[in-house]
This record gives sequence, structure tokens and C-alpha cells, in this order.
Amino acid sequence: MIDVRENVLARLVVIVATIPNIKSAQRNNVDMSEEQLPAAIVFDGDEETDDRSDVSMRPPNRPTLVTMLPEIVIAQQSDQAGSDITTLRRELIKRVLYDTELNNNIVKTGRNGNGAIRYLGCQTDVGWMRSLHGALRAQFMFKYVLNPADL
Amino acid sequence: MIDYNAILYDPVYAELGVPAMMTHTAGVSEITVIDDTRTKSLTTGSLETKSVGPGAFARVPELTSLGVDRSDYDGSLLSFNGRIWAIRSHELRGSPNGEDQGEVRFLLKASA
Repeated sequence: MIDVRENVLARLVVIVATIPNIKSAQRNNVDMSEEQLPAAIVFDGDEETDDRSDVSMRPPNRPTLVTMLPEIVIAQQSDQAGSDITTLRRELIKRVLYDTELNNNIVKTGRNGNGAIRYLGCQTDVGWMRSLHGALRAQFMFKYVLNPADL
Repeated sequence: MIDYNAILYDPVYAELGVPAMMTHTAGVSEITVIDDTRTKSLTTGSLETKSVGPGAFARVPELTSLGVDRSDYDGSLLSFNGRIWAIRSHELRGSPNGEDQGEVRFLLKASA
């Protein structure tokens, strides 16, 4: 059984846990306390294909390309929340795009296959709590082969 | 005219107030504050982070009598209930006798 979607999401949690100074690396946790910060949370992303317009005679169980759009939120509270978030963002993007396991073995980008990993962008939030709170939502796109025979 | 400090604020502060040390540009003053630290959360996408919004009420007449002007509020340190905070901003609360006889709510942050 090979579930690329699950493998990507599980690997992302492993990757964000390696970001320096991250105290909590979790998946789909929507409820954090300030004691868990700085935190990086991986949220399962929507998945879609281009098969809606495919009206060919292709059997339904043939492999197809899908894209998934997971979101990663990083949050921190400190007097330097802005620069802290900037540093965490830099480490996040670098680690996701350069991860050998993701690129070569799971998504199979470049010479390994026709998958792709893209950083799409981010949005930021700031606010006052015990100290200055900063958060960043980063979106990535993963394109990979969905082979029903592997599921 | 009714003196709301005498019949309202002073009794309330005598009951709920705690001693505080305010360190400001003109020196250090002992005042009475009411702890107004509240729960606070911030939502980013699906993630809700819970924390507190520290705050404290004080009486403007007490501050004025100690020589603490409004321009001294922000940036001062406020120590009470075993913690030291920095005043990042403030809100004036009017009173029936006018804002100079009312309260101020200090918006606090963790002291560096």
C-alpha cells in the first residue's frame, strides 16, 4: 500500500519538527496554548485532479495526477515576533523544498518522476497577547501520481 | 454633585485593589490597581492560540496626585501580584465627574 498523500503529510510533520527552536510540531491541532510556542502545525490540504474534463475511454482505475494544497501555520510570541516568524518561514521553505525524502522518494520530482513541489505563498497575522503574537500561514502545492492500484 | 470617587471607586478599590509599584519617568509610585488580566486568543487559519491579555485598572486622580501624567503612562513598568509588566498602551475610562476623575485601563505586556 502506498498512499502518497499521507506520506507527504506525515513527512511534513517530520520536517517542521527539525526547524530550530520549534517547541511543538503537530498535525491538524487547532487548539494551542502559549506554552507550546513557537509551534508549527501541518494542516491536511485539499486534493484535486484535472479528471473532471477527462471524458476519454480511460479505465477509471488508471493512474492520474493530483495536486494537494496543505497549509503550514507557524506561530510565536515574543518581543521580536516579526523577526522570529521571518526566521521560521525561511527555515520552513528551505527544508520543505530541499527535503530529499519528499523530492526523491515520495513526490518524485525532477529525474525521479513527474511530481512537483511548489511554495505558493503566505499570509501573516499579528496581535497582542501576553507579548506580541505573530503567526504565518504558508501554502505549498504537491503534485504527484495517484495510482489506485497502490492504495 | 455626587462624588463618584468617594461613593464608587474608592470603596471598589479598597475591596478589589491590590498594591502596585509603578516605575515611570518621574520615579517610582505606589498605587492601587485592579488586576484585569483576561483570557485572549488569536486565530490564524484553523489554528486558535490561547493566551492572556494582561491589563490593570487604576484611578486617574491617584496617579495625578502622585505626579504621574498621562504622557508617563506608556512605557512605564507596573509591578503587582508577583509579576512585572510593561505598559504598552492605555484606555481612559470616563466617569460621571469627567475623565480626570475616572479610571484608566493599562494594557500590559510581559516585561523584557
